[in-house]
Amino acid sequence: MSRQRVNWPAISLIAPAVIVLLVIGIYPLLFALDISFRQYQLTKQYLGTGYVGFQNYVAVFNDPLFWQSLLRTGQFFLLTVPLQVVFGVLIALFIDGVRWRPLSFLMRVLLVVPIAVTPTVVGLIGRLLFNRDFGFMNYLLSLFNIPPVSWLGEPLPAMLTIALVDIWQWTPFVALVMLSGLSMISQDVLESGQLDAGRGWNLFRHVQAPYLLPGLTAILILRTADILKLFDMVFVLTRGGPGVSTELVSVYIQRVGFRVFDMGVASAQAILLLILCIVLSRGYIRLFYREIEA
Amino acid sequence: MQTPQFRHFGLMMSALLIVAMVLSACAPAAQPAAPAQQAAAPAPAMEGEWTLAKAAEPYKGTSINCVFLDRPGYRAAIELIPEFEAATGIDVNWEIMPYENSREKQVLDFTGMTGNYDCVLIDVVWIGEFAASGWVVPMQKFMDDPALADPNLNLEGFFPILLESFGTWDNVVYGLPFDNYSGVLFYNRCMLEEAGFDGPPATWQELMDVYGPALTKDGKYAYALQSRRGETQSADSFMRMIWPFGGSLLDENFEPNLTSEESLTGLNFRQDLMKYMPPDIVEWDHDETVQGLAQGNVAMITEWSAFNAYFTNPETSKIVDCIDYAVEPAGPVGPRPALGGFSLGVSANSSPEKQAATWLFIQWVTSEAKAKDYIRAGGVSGRMSAYEDPELQAQFPYFAPLVISWKEYGNPVFRPRFPEWPAISELIAQTGTEMMLGSISVEDGAKLLNDQIRQILDAAGYYSGQRPQLQ
Repeated sequence: MSRQRVNWPAISLIAPAVIVLLVIGIYPLLFALDISFRQYQLTKQYLGTGYVGFQNYVAVFNDPLFWQSLLRTGQFFLLTVPLQVVFGVLIALFIDGVRWRPLSFLMRVLLVVPIAVTPTVVGLIGRLLFNRDFGFMNYLLSLFNIPPVSWLGEPLPAMLTIALVDIWQWTPFVALVMLSGLSMISQDVLESGQLDAGRGWNLFRHVQAPYLLPGLTAILILRTADILKLFDMVFVLTRGGPGVSTELVSVYIQRVGFRVFDMGVASAQAILLLILCIVLSRGYIRLFYREIEA
Repeated sequence: MQTPQFRHFGLMMSALLIVAMVLSACAPAAQPAAPAQQAAAPAPAMEGEWTLAKAAEPYKGTSINCVFLDRPGYRAAIELIPEFEAATGIDVNWEIMPYENSREKQVLDFTGMTGNYDCVLIDVVWIGEFAASGWVVPMQKFMDDPALADPNLNLEGFFPILLESFGTWDNVVYGLPFDNYSGVLFYNRCMLEEAGFDGPPATWQELMDVYGPALTKDGKYAYALQSRRGETQSADSFMRMIWPFGGSLLDENFEPNLTSEESLTGLNFRQDLMKYMPPDIVEWDHDETVQGLAQGNVAMITEWSAFNAYFTNPETSKIVDCIDYAVEPAGPVGPRPALGGFSLGVSANSSPEKQAATWLFIQWVTSEAKAKDYIRAGGVSGRMSAYEDPELQAQFPYFAPLVISWKEYGNPVFRPRFPEWPAISELIAQTGTEMMLGSISVEDGAKLLNDQIRQILDAAGYYSGQRPQLQ
């Protein structure tokens, strides 16, 4: 049996990334897993930090506020992601059809701008745009003699506001991913597809859509993870209010972890989100992911 | 070409990476551990008269870090700091952070023992938590050291209610009053005069029955009560309306008291008063409320005295010539203005040298000698003597209602200061906002809060005798 040669150059190239991943990704995960089984209240150190078994998980399962916030997060997902996909595909198809290269390039660059803005700044911009008294949205409504809306002061408009802001920021990302899918279609495939299926909806359905499915799967996985940890923008815009109307699960976990400082329960909540995220990711892959046979 | 095994592995790793990112956002930053309380470094005995420069001599070149907010009192201190640095050689650095993050950052610093902050900012409602956890050093350590204690320190020179509420826990002084507030009625005198009033309302009922209808018109509102979810809802809105009507958070037996007739009257009054407030008032924080008055859209607000600088500055206010002040309106039991503010304390995690340098800074910036400069720079001092100066009284007409509020109507338990307040505040912030939105009735909300508060206090050991019933 021959000894396998160790590929040191390859290992040395990969090692820094793996070490960084272990330090900033895996270690916090294991740490959170550990304290999710402990009594871990930062402001009550006299209680100690001993293991309490599944007590934190039982507390989470019996906490109606956690489940309500998770349900609200699901509603937010359904409100935003389908629209982002629809608009993203339409934008991608439009840009893909633009034959003048400078315009196509400019549009791709413009798509990156909302993604590059930090969520906190997006939240601050949102507070200005949706301000009841001097916001741009109510100015637009006033042009049609529509009375001002308390975008951030009432439950339903507040949820719509954070959804609109999220759609504004992340639709370009979906469009870029879809555009990369469309760019994989070779000219031969497109032309033969046009011969067989014609143009318009039939062409999209039978030729272009299959190329978008891998991208769609990635979008669903990424957006699910993003929305489960969406915090900055919502916190700046509404702080989870009014009432609890925009308190998504990440805002709630932050409240438990960094206001009440019950890190044990907050970690248990985060671990449950981790499991949910894995399950959903597997589901998306099973449902949507298809290899493209060229 | 990818093998199925490789693809499977790749998918699993991708999923793991994503959730690791989710979790890393939620994981705590530091391992908790009992903070070590360190004694201040013994300073050499002083010869001759005590001076700041001599006291600071051993700590020349020491650098200390302070927690500051983006409010006028802190900008005033920043204006004065170069003078302290020149006199002592001690470098004073500050980190300005939003109020909402300031407790979180400091608690993580204390429990993680990272020692980032030497000069601790203590809100009136954090003193119990910070002191009971041993995160701040009792000031007596420094006051007993003749090399560090200014002979003119004069603790009796602070308004008693400020030193008692902001800086003292269980009869031990942990902080000196620094950024001091009382709720004051700020009003637009011109708007009131145009509507035929020659002064502000003396009672809440008068505000509702007489001033409300007359001043709420043409897109302008008689009154705004900042009510955004958070401490703004729990302290500035919810508690503000309970006390003047005879209610309270806890009764004399330390039992939750929100379902008492008086507390419910106050909360129902707030609901009724909302018709004279901007429709999105549950999203109004201090900024929106101050701007509402400063831009002439609201006739009256009850806000912290510290915001006065916004109204008198032509760059931030359209009502410089119209701003006027009064004690907060009275309820059936008289005026019960809101009480709030911050003291500065010394972190138990800092080195002895930094602790001593921090003490010298706190002692100096809150001293009687600097009180007038601090006020002129936009701060609100806790020193009584500064408010007796006729020149300053003329320059700052809000002094009169402020001093009356502190001296005659100050309520040291406007918000309980025990360590459980932050958790209770979170609950009040949520249910209080839901009450205002009508998604829960005042009565049901008060009962829900009563039950939740009792549960928290019971779990903390207040009813079993494990902990003293301090608030």
